Amino acid sequence: MDTSSPAVFANAELLKMYTGRRVRAVVQVIRNEGGVLVGKSTDGQQLTVKGSPAFPLSHFVEVIGIADGNQSIRAEISTDLGENFDVVAYDGLCQLANGKHRKLFL
Amino acid sequence: MYSSQQDGGAALFSGGGFMPSQATQTPESGFSKNRGVQGVIPLTVKQISEAYHSNDDKSNFVVDGVEASNVRLLGLVMNKAERVTDVTFTLDDGTGRIDVNRWVNETSDTNEMAIIQNGMYVIVNGSLKGFQGKKHVVAFSVRPVVDFNHITLHFIECIHVHLDNTRPKGAGLPQAQTSSMVQTPIRSDVKEYHSSLPNQFSSPTGAKGSETDIYKLVLDVFQEPASLARDHGLHVDEVVQKLGIPINKIRDAIEYHVDVGHIYSTIDDNHFKSACNG
Repeated sequence: MDTSSPAVFANAELLKMYTGRRVRAVVQVIRNEGGVLVGKSTDGQQLTVKGSPAFPLSHFVEVIGIADGNQSIRAEISTDLGENFDVVAYDGLCQLANGKHRKLFL
Repeated sequence: MYSSQQDGGAALFSGGGFMPSQATQTPESGFSKNRGVQGVIPLTVKQISEAYHSNDDKSNFVVDGVEASNVRLLGLVMNKAERVTDVTFTLDDGTGRIDVNRWVNETSDTNEMAIIQNGMYVIVNGSLKGFQGKKHVVAFSVRPVVDFNHITLHFIECIHVHLDNTRPKGAGLPQAQTSSMVQTPIRSDVKEYHSSLPNQFSSPTGAKGSETDIYKLVLDVFQEPASLARDHGLHVDEVVQKLGIPINKIRDAIEYHVDVGHIYSTIDDNHFKSACNG
């Protein structure tokens, strides 16, 4: 068992609190710019993902990696979640997992 | 959705690696010790890492006061290794990592595990085990996540079950149990995760106010499924630790409950168990 490096559920707003930490966020692909993926976060802001392979446009991608700036993640693992994903529910989960029920996750 | 899953789960999840496979099992064989009192509880690895391991049984974990023997986890597969009799991997659910082990007895087991690859999201249903202080999961099933909304769902379920199990007993009931003769039905969603206990014991009517409350709190601790599952019951100190009430008050409450027959002493004068048969 190892709980030393959790990946925090994050949207763009929460990302700001976790610079340098491991996070997980879902983005909808807007464009691929040669190794850099630009996407829309679950709270509707633009996020840059470095070191991620390209994914089809408008697909949802879950990125696990290090938050390295306000609007940027250095990806370690990226998973294609397909075209149908409930961002509202996921965004709600981000807030629960960082707020009241933090101790279940961190 | 849960009730149907759990009905099926009762027969499905009754055994560990060396038990007969589900195909050869009849529903009547559900008396296996492994099964515990619960259905399958969704948990995060973080919660498991903090689970309390009660010492009198080698596979008895308690999360939020509820026995967590069968658990459901969701996460990414890492370091998958296939061996002759079993497949092992590490599951990373974002809150932590835990080792998972899946015995492969039959072709169907082998086929199920063959499609599991590193980096894949999977749902693991399994039994939580402790070995030499290290926790791991012996999986009954490992299935790829097809609809990724299940990731969100799983963690929301973890929160929901946590809330249900930590809610003060009685708070979720429509009315305070002032009339002790009325059996207040426990809310159905609570029932899904608790083996709900018949509320057959009345609270003391003679005493008033906080004293009554302490009596009820103490009795509630003894009636938790995890407490009922233990042969020796609970040590007084454990009750004190759980409730954070001075020991003399706890002893008073225990003395009362022993007198009226709600609980009885077991191996010594410090261990007590509920007379209510869970």
